Amino acid sequence: MDEEKLISKKEVLEKMGISYGQLYRWKRKGLIPEIWFVHRSTFTGQETFFPRDKIIERIERIKAMKDEHPLDDLAELITTHVNAKLRVALSKLERLGWLDDDLLRTCCPAEASDEAVSIWQAFVLGVLSRLRRSARDEEIDLVRRTLEGERGGGLLDRVSENGLNLYLLRKRVASGGISAQISLVALTEEGAVFDPAIEVVATVDLSTVLQRIKLDLARSDETASGEGNARRESDEREVKR
Amino acid sequence: MSEERRSVSISGSGRLGGGEYGRVAVSGSGRVDGDLTAEELRISGSGRVSGRTEAGQITISGSGKFGGAVRADEMRVSGSAKIEGPVEAKEFKSSGHFHAEGDIAAEYFKSSGSFRVGGDVEADIFKASGGFDIEGLLSADKVEIRLAGRCTAREIGGERIHVERPESLGATLLGGLAKMLTGGGTAELRTTQIEGDEIHLENTIADVVRGTRVEIGPGCRIGSVEYTETLKVHDDAEVERQQKV
Repeated sequence: MDEEKLISKKEVLEKMGISYGQLYRWKRKGLIPEIWFVHRSTFTGQETFFPRDKIIERIERIKAMKDEHPLDDLAELITTHVNAKLRVALSKLERLGWLDDDLLRTCCPAEASDEAVSIWQAFVLGVLSRLRRSARDEEIDLVRRTLEGERGGGLLDRVSENGLNLYLLRKRVASGGISAQISLVALTEEGAVFDPAIEVVATVDLSTVLQRIKLDLARSDETASGEGNARRESDEREVKR
Repeated sequence: MSEERRSVSISGSGRLGGGEYGRVAVSGSGRVDGDLTAEELRISGSGRVSGRTEAGQITISGSGKFGGAVRADEMRVSGSAKIEGPVEAKEFKSSGHFHAEGDIAAEYFKSSGSFRVGGDVEADIFKASGGFDIEGLLSADKVEIRLAGRCTAREIGGERIHVERPESLGATLLGGLAKMLTGGGTAELRTTQIEGDEIHLENTIADVVRGTRVEIGPGCRIGSVEYTETLKVHDDAEVERQQKV
């Protein structure tokens, strides 16, 4: 956290064109996590700073979504809480380019015939689809098992609160003329350092995956209420991004 | 849908196990052991809930003590209350005295008595006309403080922050009485930092005030004011540094 670039509250307000009132309101509604508020003493007195990239990205998202959703719902959609009961339509995953029949069969065999999967399955699919090209089948399975192993430990909450990266690593060990390659999977906060002999095959920012799902769920509400037109609109917005 | 919930009334001295109830009324001395869920909790004598409390409506006109978190649609205190856990209410109104050791979150918060909060107070609308001591942050869209005693908060932030000292109060008998009751001779607000869009202050002592449109009224002593649009400083106010940013 200390290594991150900080931005002062004043600069945030100016840069993002928002007011103190909005910022305090969003904090109250849980849209901006308490831990992002970093208090520092400066020559003008006590000042508040934020992790620069995080706060800017968050405020942009709040601004983009606040007109269509009540603030109280917004917290559900973009922050800490992950509503495990939410289900994600397969058609939406297809639109995200995450739908892969093979992957679907590996990670949710029982549900493959349904129209929708749980948010957890969507998350796992999202992660695996990002590894599809670079990873071998057994590595994909290793990642899947790693994620499943952490499911009970509130992985989704941890991802949305702190942000976690998943690293797929390979290391070649050679000894006495025999060489072997081993694959490793690590889940850590950003900025993990590995020894130089390790090859980082892929890095997946888990919070991005989760946010994509949530964003898309948010859009699905529009489509449900506004039918065809709204669907087209949300698609266009997605292209613009 | 579910079976009718039991209603209980304690008018002498009694104990009640925790659980789900309809209406719980304590007019004598009552104690709930454990967590309480009720449609309505009314304490007009002396009552204590040892665990957490969840109720549609909580009314305390006697003395109420809560050992855990309190969650209510509507909470009214006209006697005295002590809450050891955090409080969450849609509407929180007090004309008596209460002490909350944790945070308070409400949509509408109004106090005309005195209170102490160990954590933060967060509300859409916050109105206070007595004395208070908030150890954490006071944050609301609208903060309206009518000074009638000593008021302190570590920080205050919101959209509209209005602090005034009712003109006639100092001179009237009622004002004198209020001073005696609140224990402090001075009706003032003390805080380290105030941040808001529209700020009007009177009798306020603060290190830093930051806002869009700021009015520093009579009786204020402010270390530094940072504003983006306008600043007015009353003749009877002291501002050490001011800066348009």
